[in-house]
Amino acid sequence: MTFDFTTAEALRTAEASRPAGAAEAAGVAKAPGCGRTNALRIPASVESLEPVSAFVLGLGDRAGLTESSLYRLRLAADELATNIVMHGYRGEPGEITVDGGIDPDEVWVRFQDDAPAFDPRQGMRAPQLDVPLEERPIGGLGVFLAFTAVDTFEYELVAGRNVSTLVMRRPTAD
Amino acid sequence: MAFDVRLRINDKVATIELKGELDASTAGEFHETVGKAAGAGAVELVIRAEQLGYLSSAGLRSLVFARQKMGDGVRIAVVGASEPVARTIRLAGFDHSIDLVDA
Repeated sequence: MTFDFTTAEALRTAEASRPAGAAEAAGVAKAPGCGRTNALRIPASVESLEPVSAFVLGLGDRAGLTESSLYRLRLAADELATNIVMHGYRGEPGEITVDGGIDPDEVWVRFQDDAPAFDPRQGMRAPQLDVPLEERPIGGLGVFLAFTAVDTFEYELVAGRNVSTLVMRRPTAD
Repeated sequence: MAFDVRLRINDKVATIELKGELDASTAGEFHETVGKAAGAGAVELVIRAEQLGYLSSAGLRSLVFARQKMGDGVRIAVVGASEPVARTIRLAGFDHSIDLVDA
């Protein structure tokens, strides 16, 4: 397994060599206002979940997130990555690009993949609390946890690429 | 990120001790252990979570499996979960079927 840690500039260069759509996809989320952007390119497999977590924990730590916000951002990223591996690519080989950045008021993490178009939020199901646990459908729980963990969860289909962005507000300095 | 799961069975009470991070890459091991506890005819399942640093939906799935495999009369308790782990269990609504103790 290879991990590709690149700076924002290197990522843009790499994106430029791809079809126009892919380059556009990389520009979907807001450009980072400050700090450097890191990126991770990983195969779509469960073994990649650990580097995704490490990446997000590192980013959130540098952003000065509280322990609780950091945990929730990592949970959301983990659930989203798991969803892409299990339901996006459905066990087929594929690649996930993760990048993120720190803005003055928030930290963002973005996932891009080339699995069939799939809005993870559509698979989301709030737990059916009135149904006994043993009879409850379990699908959609991970995305529900991700959605409720972060401040913003956005999805866009850009030139055939799935682009999901998680945003967590940073603590305000007062 | 290390993960460790241990099973003890005493007087039909199964105790599973979890350490580290329970996610999609480690949930298989927990799932198997839950299966063993259910297969051993335990009348109570106690999950010690004091040293569980992280829990994702993959781990919650194994709790559903435990609830399905063990009879209605079997109490399942999660003991000593940290605040974010307990929050995840409550958010999923699992605290209706599983006792959260010291969390």
